[in-house]
Amino acid sequence: MRELELYYGPQHLGMVGNFSLTLQVEGDKILKASANPGYLHRGFEKLMEKRSWIKNFPMVCRINVIEPDSMEMIYSMGVEKLAGIEVPERAHFIRSIFLELARVGSHLFGLWAYANMLGFDTVAQWAMYHRDLVLDLFEELTGGRVYHIYIWPGGVRRDFPEGFKDKIVKTLHTIGGCVPDYDSTFFNNRLFYERACNVGKVSRAEAMEMGGVGQVIRATGMAYDIRKVEPYAAYDRVPWNVPTRKEGDAFSRIWIVRDEMIESVHMIFKLLDEMPEGNVYNRIPNPFKWRIPEGEAYVRCESSRGELGLYMVSDGGKEPYRAHFRTPSYSHGLTVLEKALEGANISDVGNIMMSLYVVAPEIDR
Amino acid sequence: MLKQELETTFDNITIRMEKKNQLELSITKDGIMSVLSFLKNKGYDHLHVISCVDWIDDKQLELVYILSAYMKQDVPGETEQLNILLKTRIGRDDPKYITSIALFPAAEPYEREIHEMFGVDFLGHPRLTPLLLERDYDIPPFRKDFDTKQYVDDVFGSVPSVEGEDKN
Repeated sequence: MRELELYYGPQHLGMVGNFSLTLQVEGDKILKASANPGYLHRGFEKLMEKRSWIKNFPMVCRINVIEPDSMEMIYSMGVEKLAGIEVPERAHFIRSIFLELARVGSHLFGLWAYANMLGFDTVAQWAMYHRDLVLDLFEELTGGRVYHIYIWPGGVRRDFPEGFKDKIVKTLHTIGGCVPDYDSTFFNNRLFYERACNVGKVSRAEAMEMGGVGQVIRATGMAYDIRKVEPYAAYDRVPWNVPTRKEGDAFSRIWIVRDEMIESVHMIFKLLDEMPEGNVYNRIPNPFKWRIPEGEAYVRCESSRGELGLYMVSDGGKEPYRAHFRTPSYSHGLTVLEKALEGANISDVGNIMMSLYVVAPEIDR
Repeated sequence: MLKQELETTFDNITIRMEKKNQLELSITKDGIMSVLSFLKNKGYDHLHVISCVDWIDDKQLELVYILSAYMKQDVPGETEQLNILLKTRIGRDDPKYITSIALFPAAEPYEREIHEMFGVDFLGHPRLTPLLLERDYDIPPFRKDFDTKQYVDDVFGSVPSVEGEDKN
C-alpha cells in the first residue's frame, strides 16, 4: 500500500493544546511519528534571566497552564535551596494541601480532555464542573482562579481564612460523592475498556530508558513518586500509598489518574487533621535588593504529570543566571509518544497522547 | 562510598557535595562518557535533563548532565536519594560534543534543544533539526550575548504602535 504523510494537529479535535505530529501512515497504520512542538514557545527561561528573583513568579506559573501550582512550588524550592531559607512547619502542611487540591483539579481537567476525546461528553462535563468547584476554593484563598502565586520563598502568602478547612472538606465530599457515578459511567464502562486496553503500551524497560515518569512509569508497576522518593513539604508526615498498575497501557494510566485523585483527597483529610498552628511565612530580605549567593541547585517535586525538576544557577546577582525546567511532558511528549505511536492506528493517536497526559506549554516553555 | 570509587577510578575529577543530596562532579570534556557509563552501571539509570549554561566571561559553555537512580534500592549501599550533577566545559566558539543517546535514549530531545538554543553540535546525533524555533538566528538565542530586547526592536520594531498613531 502507498505511504502517506499525515499532519495531525495543531488544530485537531483529538488534540488539546498547541502541538502537532507528522505521521507516516500506510492505510490507517502509523509507521513513524515525529512530534513538532514549539507553537507555545515563549522563551521563559531566557526571560527569567532578566528579571529579579521575585518577579519571575508570574512567568513560572504560566509554564504549565493546567497546574501552575507545582511550578510555583518548584521555583520556590529552588530559590529556598540556593538562598538557604527555612520554611515553617505549618507552611509545609498548607503547601501540601494546596498542591494536592491542585492535583485533583488538574486530574479532573485531564479526565475532561480524555473523556471528551473518547466521546464521553457527559463525564467530561462533570469533570469540568467539579474542577470548577476546586477553582472556587482557590479563588477564595488566593484571589485567582487559575494562576495563584500563593506559594513563594519562605512559605505561603497568607494563612487559611476562617472556616476554610470546612469548605475544603465540603467540596471534597461533594466531588467524592460522585465517584460511583464516574465509575459506572466511565471507568467501568465496556466502551472505555475496549478503546483503551492494550493501546499505547509502554513497557517498564522502555519507559525507564526514555525517561518516563509519573503515570507512565507507575502504570508499569514501579512505585516511582517523588513525594515518596525524595519527600518535600509535608508528604512524609502522613501515611499514604502510591497507586500502581502492571499493564502499562492507556487503560491503566487513566485508572491511575482516578486512583491518585482519591488518594489525594484522603491525604488532604489526614493533613488537615495533623496541621499544626504557627506562622506560615518566614521573612525574606527586601525582594527589590535581594541577592542570592553564588551556587547551583537541582530540586524536584511531583507535579500531577510526574517528576518536575528545576536546575537553577545563581552568580550572586539579583536575577537567576540560568534556570532550566525539566518537565514531565518533555520526555513523554517527545520520546515516549513517538515510540508508542509506532504501529498504532490513526484513530488511537489522540487516545495515546491524552493517556500520556501531554501538556504542550510544558514542552515548549 | 560512591565518592571514593569515583576518585579512584577517574583522574582529574572534582567532587563537591555542599547541598543536601546533591553531588556535583566536574571533569574534563573527554571524561563525560566514561563517567556516564560508570554511573549507569552503578544503577544511576535515570537521566533527568541535560542542561547548558553560557559562562560568557570564561568564553565557555558548560554542559550539565543530571541523573539519579529510579529507585535507591537499585543502588547497593545507597541510603539517600542522590541527584548527581555531572559537568564539563567546552569552548564557546564552534562548540562540538559527542552524543550520549547510545547510553541514554532520553537524551535525544535535550541535545536537540541545546543544539538549537546554544549552538552545540552533538556528533552522532541522528536529527539535529530545529525543535522549538521557526526563525533563523545569527546568535543562538539562549546565549548570553543574544539581546532579546534588541532582537524584538529590530524584527518587530518598525510596526507603529496604535497609541502612537492616535497622538499624531
